[in-house]
Amino acid sequence: MPNFILLLHQDLARPRPGSPDEFASMTKDYMAWADKIRAEGRLNGGEKLTDDPGKVIRTRAGRTAVTDGPYAESKELVGGYFIISAKDYAEACRLAEDNPHLKYGGRIEVREIEKM
Amino acid sequence: MADADVLVSDLFRREAGKISAWLARLLGPARLDLIEDAVQDAFGAALARWPLDGVPVKPAAWLAIAARNKALDRLKSEARLGPLDESAAWRLGFSDPEATGRLDDTLALMFVACHPTLEHDEQTMLTLKTVCGFGVKDLARAYLSTPEAVTQRLVRAKRKIRELALAFEIPEGAELAARLPALVQAIYLLFNGGYTSGEGKDLVARELCREALRLATLLTEHAATATGECHALAALICFHHARAEARTGDAGALILLAEQDRGRWDGALIARGFVHLRQAMSASALTALHLEAAIASVHAAAAAFEATDWAMLARYYRMLEELKPTPIVQLNAAIALAQAEGPDAGLARLEVLAGARKLAHYAPYHAARGDLLLKLCRRREAAAALAAALDCPLNDAERAFLAGRLRTCAENGTSDRRH
Repeated sequence: MPNFILLLHQDLARPRPGSPDEFASMTKDYMAWADKIRAEGRLNGGEKLTDDPGKVIRTRAGRTAVTDGPYAESKELVGGYFIISAKDYAEACRLAEDNPHLKYGGRIEVREIEKM
Repeated sequence: MADADVLVSDLFRREAGKISAWLARLLGPARLDLIEDAVQDAFGAALARWPLDGVPVKPAAWLAIAARNKALDRLKSEARLGPLDESAAWRLGFSDPEATGRLDDTLALMFVACHPTLEHDEQTMLTLKTVCGFGVKDLARAYLSTPEAVTQRLVRAKRKIRELALAFEIPEGAELAARLPALVQAIYLLFNGGYTSGEGKDLVARELCREALRLATLLTEHAATATGECHALAALICFHHARAEARTGDAGALILLAEQDRGRWDGALIARGFVHLRQAMSASALTALHLEAAIASVHAAAAAFEATDWAMLARYYRMLEELKPTPIVQLNAAIALAQAEGPDAGLARLEVLAGARKLAHYAPYHAARGDLLLKLCRRREAAAALAAALDCPLNDAERAFLAGRLRTCAENGTSDRRH
């Protein structure tokens, strides 16, 4: 079965949970989703990226330049990812649809991982 | 219902340490308290739920998930006093509860629990509590203390760790070299504690020995910690622990090396000991532990007490004396010498030690003197020495044994029993 990576994009200006209770219940939503996919034997990885905006490296006119993120062209960051197995895009998307990232204002990019 | 109870208590010891190490990786060693509580909560939940719902398909993962959820709850409660540690919450959120039991995590937790700034007892207690999943009651029994006193010491130890703000990792380079000896020492003490408190009859004492063996073996399984000294430690524990069954009689009485049924020694464990010893000897530095392991190997290799290679033993003891000139080592060296070269030679060495304060109230010293004097047919002096031994702190088995020896003196003491 092919693997799909779910890239969890988030808007830097998204509203954030106001209280510890809200934050913890959001965390629990993510956990519950991952626990469910894991119990089905479909979760093959997942990590959170650090909260800093990271770096972007580009080459311009033969010179390499490193700049701070976020990228000039978007106010979005990838905050984390999951890798799941599914038989096709349709199934991968159906599994991703339940991911609480959407409920909390994020966007999920689903990409199939090339089988090597 | 009873089945689930037994399963939980069995699982607890096995899984509690793994889950604690996994959570410590996620939340940091400064939160050992929170982690312990969360693990405790999870096992409480298992005790409440499993008898009703049945045992889950993956009990270990179930426990890890429950502990992780409880940890999040406790993180939230912590936030009543300050802001929520969002990064810690996220780490829990993305954690993999099926990834417990990683060697790196367990070793990192051992390095935390055995930090050199902690006292020896604190190191071993905290290791047993967090890495091995021992309860406070078991610890109190092992340390001849009360649960309250144990709890207090653990609280102090954990406070020290918080203040140190340690990273959760296996140290590298000079830091590793500086911190590994405390781990080796703690495991050594753990084993000694279990061994000398009569591992044959006492379940907790036997568990201490088993855990010491497990932890020493873990050290030898990681590239960073598989040093010659760690292999020597593992070898030493294998050789001694292999004799556990043969060391105690039916009534729990201690059986001396000379009288043990060597058929009851654990041959597989002895073989493991020799594998570790070979690894230890291939390292460049020779430590006291190497020699202690080598000494234990000489006994382990002898098919019968009479077949012991005493000359080899005396040589190892002489080398050990140079590295570790403690009165106890010197005493054992003298005993080995007596076997290798005769009672006169051994007795001469014992007389030199007569002034050592540590030996004045140490029964084995007086007992060994009595024994050699008896062999030399100096019966009155032998009786005095044995009487001095009986004046020392002894357990019941030892007392009974020495009293018997003293009686032999009065009759015609030529029997050949010795430690």
